[in-house]
Amino acid sequence: MIPILGLVLGIVLGIVLEPGLPQFLQPYLPIAIVAALDALFGALRAYLEGTFTDRVFIVSFFSNVLIAALIVFIGDQIGVGSQLSTGVVVVLGIRIFTNAAAIRRALLHA
Amino acid sequence: MPDSRKPDSRKKGNRKGPAEKSTEEKPSVRSSRSWWDAVLRPTRAQLIIAIALALVGFAVVTQVRSTRSTDDYSSARREDLVQLLDQLNAETRRLESESADLERTRTQLESGADAEEVARAEARKRAEVLAILAGTVPAEGPGIRMVITDPQQKVTPEVLLDVIEEMRDAGAEVIEINDRIRVVATSWIAAGPQGLLIDDILVTVPITIEVIGDSHALAEGAQFRGGLISEIEGPSIGGTVDLRQLDLVKVDSLHTPKANQYAQPAPKRPK
Repeated sequence: MIPILGLVLGIVLGIVLEPGLPQFLQPYLPIAIVAALDALFGALRAYLEGTFTDRVFIVSFFSNVLIAALIVFIGDQIGVGSQLSTGVVVVLGIRIFTNAAAIRRALLHA
Repeated sequence: MPDSRKPDSRKKGNRKGPAEKSTEEKPSVRSSRSWWDAVLRPTRAQLIIAIALALVGFAVVTQVRSTRSTDDYSSARREDLVQLLDQLNAETRRLESESADLERTRTQLESGADAEEVARAEARKRAEVLAILAGTVPAEGPGIRMVITDPQQKVTPEVLLDVIEEMRDAGAEVIEINDRIRVVATSWIAAGPQGLLIDDILVTVPITIEVIGDSHALAEGAQFRGGLISEIEGPSIGGTVDLRQLDLVKVDSLHTPKANQYAQPAPKRPK
């Protein structure tokens, strides 16, 4: 319940506050969101498998986001930013699908 | 605040899953607590996930908004922008050359229209000249009027032909006889039973000849010694000639051209 409330609160805050996105964050926020989604799915999977740890979740959540942003940042610096961000999205997408498959197995036993 | 509530929530948490590595217990979906309880006394894990989800939701909304609101170019990468610029440049060049083509076509059409206008004016002028020559239109201009009396009926076709030839020699452009007969290239003169005939029309006396041309030259052409006036007024014919130079001679009679029965324009032969 609380997590859903948090999600709703975040969305409402975003709509109400209408935050402007700083210029330097623009290339990294989409990647960070995908990384965060990956961390969330991982957390859900761990929760369903009974191995959830909040500290691990926090660490993985922020490190995922930071590392993804860092990879894209480095890619931008060395001129392969678009390729690297594509690569990050692909890798994280694969991870998300793997986690989703595990969640599906845990929930539906199928 | 969560820290203060943590012990309570832990006490009330329903242990169902296996023990975690961390000190935190795992909240269960099938908790026996009422969800109001969960809302009021959340576990630390729930709070952390809530915060994380709030962050994610906030970030997603921000990103979606910025993607929608900002135009496409500010978020585009440099290579994409360069490519876009190249495309635009190529398009500009293409359109410029197309515009130049159309400009050239317009110039051609305009000059063509001018040339056509000039040709039409030229043709109109030629048609006027030819119409006056053929006697199909009325004409007016400076000239002379001659009135020839012939009391003894001695003016023969030869004499009249002489008069006409003399006038043509002096530059006559239009010749009219008795306000009825327009003398043209095909006109003929003959002697009929009742008198002179021109183009099958009887020439009554006195004969009035109106000529358009340089009036001075025409008068000189008629008056020189031994010329047609001397001849007509001479003893052999015994007529009189009244010649006047006029500033404006009007010729209204028309010659009706017949379609040629035999003569056809020859086809142009290449040289």
